[in-house]
Amino acid sequence: MTLGSPASLWGLLAIPLLVALYLLRVRRREHLVSSILLWQRSASTRTGSRPWYRVERSLLLVLQILAVAAIVAGLARPAVVGRAPAGDDLFLVLDASLSMRARDVVPTRFHRARAEALEVVARLRAGQRAGVVLAGPRPLVLVPLTGDRSRLRAALGAAEPWDTVGDVAGAVSLAAAQQPGPRGRIVVWTDAAQGGLPALSRVAYRLLGTSDDNVGITRFRVLRDPGGTEAVVRVQNFGSRAWDIPLEVSRDGTPIYRTALALAAGESRTVVFPVSGAGVLRARLQIRDALPEDDQAVAVLDPTPLPPVLLVSPGNPYIEKVLALLPVARAAETRTADPSTWAGFGVVILDRVATGPLPPGNYLLIGTVPPNLPMSASGVVPRPGIATWDRTDPVLRYVTLDDVRVDRALALAPEEGRVLAEGRVPLLWAYEGRGVRALLLGFALEDSDLPLHVAFPVLMANSLAWLGGGTAEAGAGEILQVPAAGAEEAVVTTPEGRRQRVHAVDGAFVLPPFIRAGLYHLASPAGDRQFAVGTGSARAGMIRPGEVPGAQVVATEIPATRIPAAQVSPASGSAGSVPDALLTRISLWPWLLVAAIAAAVGEWALATHRRGAEA
Amino acid sequence: MASFLPPDSTAPEAVLLDPGFLQKLEMLSLVSRRRVRGDQRGERRSTLRGRGIEFADYRAYEPGDDYRYIDWNIASRLDRLFVKLFSEEEDLDVLLLLDASASMAAGTPSKLALAKSLAAAIGYIGLVNLDRIGVTAFTSGPGPRLGRLRGRARAFDLFRFLGGLHPSGQTDLARALRHVLAEARRRGLLVVMSDFLDPHTYEEALLLARHHRFQTFLIHILAEEELAPRLGGDLRLVDVETRRAVEVTADAEMLRAYADARDAFFRHIERFCFRHGIEYLRTVSSVAPETLVLHYLRQAGLLR
Repeated sequence: MTLGSPASLWGLLAIPLLVALYLLRVRRREHLVSSILLWQRSASTRTGSRPWYRVERSLLLVLQILAVAAIVAGLARPAVVGRAPAGDDLFLVLDASLSMRARDVVPTRFHRARAEALEVVARLRAGQRAGVVLAGPRPLVLVPLTGDRSRLRAALGAAEPWDTVGDVAGAVSLAAAQQPGPRGRIVVWTDAAQGGLPALSRVAYRLLGTSDDNVGITRFRVLRDPGGTEAVVRVQNFGSRAWDIPLEVSRDGTPIYRTALALAAGESRTVVFPVSGAGVLRARLQIRDALPEDDQAVAVLDPTPLPPVLLVSPGNPYIEKVLALLPVARAAETRTADPSTWAGFGVVILDRVATGPLPPGNYLLIGTVPPNLPMSASGVVPRPGIATWDRTDPVLRYVTLDDVRVDRALALAPEEGRVLAEGRVPLLWAYEGRGVRALLLGFALEDSDLPLHVAFPVLMANSLAWLGGGTAEAGAGEILQVPAAGAEEAVVTTPEGRRQRVHAVDGAFVLPPFIRAGLYHLASPAGDRQFAVGTGSARAGMIRPGEVPGAQVVATEIPATRIPAAQVSPASGSAGSVPDALLTRISLWPWLLVAAIAAAVGEWALATHRRGAEA
Repeated sequence: MASFLPPDSTAPEAVLLDPGFLQKLEMLSLVSRRRVRGDQRGERRSTLRGRGIEFADYRAYEPGDDYRYIDWNIASRLDRLFVKLFSEEEDLDVLLLLDASASMAAGTPSKLALAKSLAAAIGYIGLVNLDRIGVTAFTSGPGPRLGRLRGRARAFDLFRFLGGLHPSGQTDLARALRHVLAEARRRGLLVVMSDFLDPHTYEEALLLARHHRFQTFLIHILAEEELAPRLGGDLRLVDVETRRAVEVTADAEMLRAYADARDAFFRHIERFCFRHGIEYLRTVSSVAPETLVLHYLRQAGLLR
């Protein structure tokens, strides 16, 4: 027996109230008799006058209590768990969110889920097929429907949780799209920490987790501005109890900052402190909570995070000044457009210079259109205006173009790519493909007052960062493209020390999705880079088990910190027990509703009959 | 269902006895198992030997005896004087004690109506047979009373008195009985008509009547609803006399308990009367007075 909403049982307190009201509202009909002598001598008279005797004898009250109890019990959404009939196919969906690494379930929620899934595989009937879907940031079918148990076991054994939020709903939809047959079922192991689970038929949820006890670092990055460099650490208490937590930040193993944070339940705190030099910053919370994975984070302190830049221009003091201010690794300038000299630079700025076809690389094009890009220019448009721009794009982040005036611009006609800003014609265009990553500004800086606005250096910094492969920061689950800068091959080293070889495609290394948060190292002939990967989402540390749709819930729902970990359903993970995944939950509330109605009707009929008899 | 009817003298029950019934009563007489002693010659054997016509015994002559009663035949044979003794025929003192408490209004017809009819019948029989009839309506004490009547001509006084009785007040048979016995000058026949639903003990008073050499006859009158109450649900039963109340839940179990208490109540009275030689008759108010008098009272030995 399980209860979907145990708190509803508080409604049972209405029963004593009902009894009290019954006792208080006893309305005895007065009846004249010639003598009460014999009534007094009747033994039952004395017992009949006792209140509790009346309660016991009152069928009406009993029916009322039954009706109330049935309604309250129905609101608690009780269900009995039984072994479901064998379906044709079975899809096993494992939530691979960071929260599944919580240790409130021993050894972790994910390990428990995987063990149960393996047990389900071991108990598959002959001829029964199963498949496995991993609910990572992008749902992935690990194994399509198959009767090969060894393949299923291998896939489950290799499955790992990600250090980000998994798309469980998407995984369920993906499993449903695999058409597991008319009687097929989907069993989902999840903690539902992020909620939003679909209530589909034939989907059974196995809820894992007992605690919400987690404090984590949700953001750790290095910010630069002309005034200096600062580190920002954001710490969030996801749990329901307060913590006093020491925070320590070290650079290459040397502590550089310490503080203590007092965090109430649900509270977050951001710490900002200046940093200098270069190296790897590591922040660590000295705490023992259910999810230690987010108690530490790394950031790369790079004094020159922007790539080396070559400016090919007849002369542009605005760009020269900006390059002098921005933390570029190296800046050079030439008036000759010679592609053979561009290989050593991460970004080449072509300012109003006509070129031939662009070799693979990263380019900021200002007032010029190379012939090998899916873009053409047909003349000049006077005063095109700037009507809209994509504020969400990384290139235009923190860039305001409200008051920018443009005297004339190329009449651009893009065939591919995406327009980031436009007036009457496209004014800023981004393109990735054919080994080229390019940003094209449709007007010369001299034909606009853009260089006089604050937006200009910000736009330049964003553009160089995007063209250079972004910052050295990413989130778990993200896919990062890093300009190859002429290199053909690179080696990625994960935080666990595993090495993986990647090849340049169209002039860029496409790094595999980051499963783990931590420091990644990319080594290529063009140079080495380090990437600090954090948890993929600020909500990833939220481990409080949520609620699952009531239709096909499997096993017990375990509230948060009020229930100790030992109360995890023993059937859920103990060896030899019936796997919960093969169990289904049969809701009892419809029967309780019928019982409540029957009791109410019976009470009404009886009361009506009594009144009739008395009349 | 109404179980208690207020007194109503205009109801049919106010007609005590119809003429046909009265004619039948004239054929009956009250039976006294004891020889009684009256003031005047009646039609009943007296404990006194003397001027009656029924021979009783002989005894030796003593100076002062009336020599009209000397049996000269015996004197001639035995040469000794003996006087003949006769049972003196005297009138019978009949005390009719009616319970006129409020509880006697119960029943259809009411218990009091039956009691009044019975009293009228018994009293009429007594008057016809030249007995002395006294009637007392009691509640918690002696209430209206009618002096000792004698002769058929006083029958209307008796009926008028009985017709004027209405149920009211509380029952206290013992107190009323003690009062009546204290004023009784002669022993005789005592007929008590009541429901005996008396919260006080009355057994001692009945024994006192027996001590006064009263032949006692109890007529226990009950209403149908007292024998088998037709009640249900949660009730607050209010005693019509005392206004005291008792709360009951009248279900089957409760009614069974009531029946047990009722039967115990009956057994107690029956055993008491049997043990002390008191005649006892129990009836319900719905029984016709004519049936009761002509059959049951004759069978019980009160009439012949």
